[in-house]
Amino acid sequence: MYWLPRDQVRLLVNRLAESYAVYGPRRDEVSGEVVFDRLEYLERLDLQAAIPYNPPKHALLPQYEEILKYLYQKQSRKVTIEKISKVEPKALVGLRACDLNGILCLDRFFLGQEFVDEVYLEHRQKLFIISNTCVRPFPQCFCVCTDSGPAAGEGFDLDLTLAGQGYLVQVGSMKGQKLVEELGLREAGPEAQNLREKIVAESVSSFDNFALENKAWISRATNRLTTGFIKPEVWEYIGNQCFECGACSFVCPTCSCFNVEDVNRVDGPTDRVRTWDSCSFEGYTKMAGDHNPRKPVEDRRNKRFFCKLSYSQSKKYLRPGCVGCGRCARVCPGDIGLPNVVTYIRREITGE
Amino acid sequence: MEKQLVPIVTVPEVATVVDIREEIADVRTFYFTFDRPEIERAFRIRSGQFIMCTVFGAGEFAVSLPFSPENDRKHISVRKVGKVTAALHELQPGDKIGIRGPFGNGFPFEEIKGKNVIYVAGGIGLIPLRSSIVHVLQHRPDFGRMILVYGARSSRDLMYKDSIREWQATRDFETYFTIDRPEPGWNGQVGFVNQLVAGLNLPAENTVAFVCGPPVMFNAVIKELKLKGIKEQDIYSTLERHMKCGIGKCQHCAIGRTLVCVDGPVYTYRQIKTLGEQI
Repeated sequence: MYWLPRDQVRLLVNRLAESYAVYGPRRDEVSGEVVFDRLEYLERLDLQAAIPYNPPKHALLPQYEEILKYLYQKQSRKVTIEKISKVEPKALVGLRACDLNGILCLDRFFLGQEFVDEVYLEHRQKLFIISNTCVRPFPQCFCVCTDSGPAAGEGFDLDLTLAGQGYLVQVGSMKGQKLVEELGLREAGPEAQNLREKIVAESVSSFDNFALENKAWISRATNRLTTGFIKPEVWEYIGNQCFECGACSFVCPTCSCFNVEDVNRVDGPTDRVRTWDSCSFEGYTKMAGDHNPRKPVEDRRNKRFFCKLSYSQSKKYLRPGCVGCGRCARVCPGDIGLPNVVTYIRREITGE
Repeated sequence: MEKQLVPIVTVPEVATVVDIREEIADVRTFYFTFDRPEIERAFRIRSGQFIMCTVFGAGEFAVSLPFSPENDRKHISVRKVGKVTAALHELQPGDKIGIRGPFGNGFPFEEIKGKNVIYVAGGIGLIPLRSSIVHVLQHRPDFGRMILVYGARSSRDLMYKDSIREWQATRDFETYFTIDRPEPGWNGQVGFVNQLVAGLNLPAENTVAFVCGPPVMFNAVIKELKLKGIKEQDIYSTLERHMKCGIGKCQHCAIGRTLVCVDGPVYTYRQIKTLGEQI
């Protein structure tokens, strides 16, 4: 473990900026929200800011991404297809453990199944990740219920834990080791590991006092969702609450459904683009000819929670599909964020 | 033997439409060859797989493959039903399309050798079954009884009339045809496919059935096949879903815990029953 004095964070970030586009939490001047986005001004990185409004998944899965470009000249019947590669190396600085776990879910889904997703792979290979331990939870958090925080366990290049006037720095990769050596960080000493464990333990024990908005009874809900023993009335109630806005999908660190469209440009060629999609939209499963196997809204809603918490889906992610960030609960206008859904399932079980 | 081509995953391979045939109203068959000779030589499929077909300037759609894995012209048969398929129907011989795939699991072939094989199709449900029918015919001695039950709304709605004529003349291939309402000059049965199935003397032991058609027909036929004693795990079908990627990533084709593009599109009826969603 190494020691990074607070006033040297700038040096670290400046060094990263030489080779990467730096992304991190910053406060948006207009809305006042903390957002996780590209930092045009590095000094606006705020490692103490609250959990960002959005997860970092747009760095790997942009909301709108051109993946191919083709030109078909109809007269000469000549086709040229070009794979677009605009992916730049990115450094994600100050990722919360929940968001890092979200990226690990995406990794296992896009890289670890039947096919490797070449587009995602290119983004992923060019990523540098610095995680940041939550030394205190935020009101919306329930990562301790989903085993995804408050501290990162794996998947980072470097991991920071605030301890007084500086950060304890854990190295997670060769890339991380190289950076630490280039910066000339000093060893944090023999007590560093114990100190970090103590800080994390204090953070966990403070959930009762600070994480006030959510509590989630995840394991029982997982059991129920997997075995299907949830009454249709529960889903109907949840379905009736749903506005079908898709916000939950868009702020979820692990939601990754996308649409593919061919967009004709005025200057001739066509772009094949990937865009974010959501299973809450009616058109998501609608086929040409108007057959829609998932028409009722509750039929579509339970699929999302099946995806987040069922055992079969967890096998793809090697962990639950929910990382306990609480963002869905924050954005949902119908009050059916994941913690509430788990509560409805719990009430059904306990008869409260 | 030629090396098996790995599926074309991301960038479509350009192919030329070499021939177009009118099948029934709004359904055309497009014969194609790949422009790159090495792809043309190495492209292999299993019956029951599908491809993603790009109509340049319009988009991409998933479509099942009706040709046999061996000695058969590559083609797709497509109903004009949406924006992209309508653009496909505008194409002329010589025009280009893009192909990704083949994707999906496909029908069993080696596993069903020695068994009786029953095909039941409704309307354009014959399209995905044609591949397996032709393939089994190419290896006829390896299989037991071979039966096709095919129904459509009218005689004009029967797909692959050339193939049908050929099959009717094939020894050891029992073929039955039905249309919904009587027509002058029609010599086959009249009524729904399930009614025709009900009246036939079908084997049940050592038998597999392949069923494809609209959901109403599908459910009615399954009922009859089960009454005949055919087991749920021996009844196969192929499902369709809105698909965008074909490689298990966009998740539009999720049914229950499975993705049709990688876990399907071929499912046994026993699997379909446990998916927990409408087909």
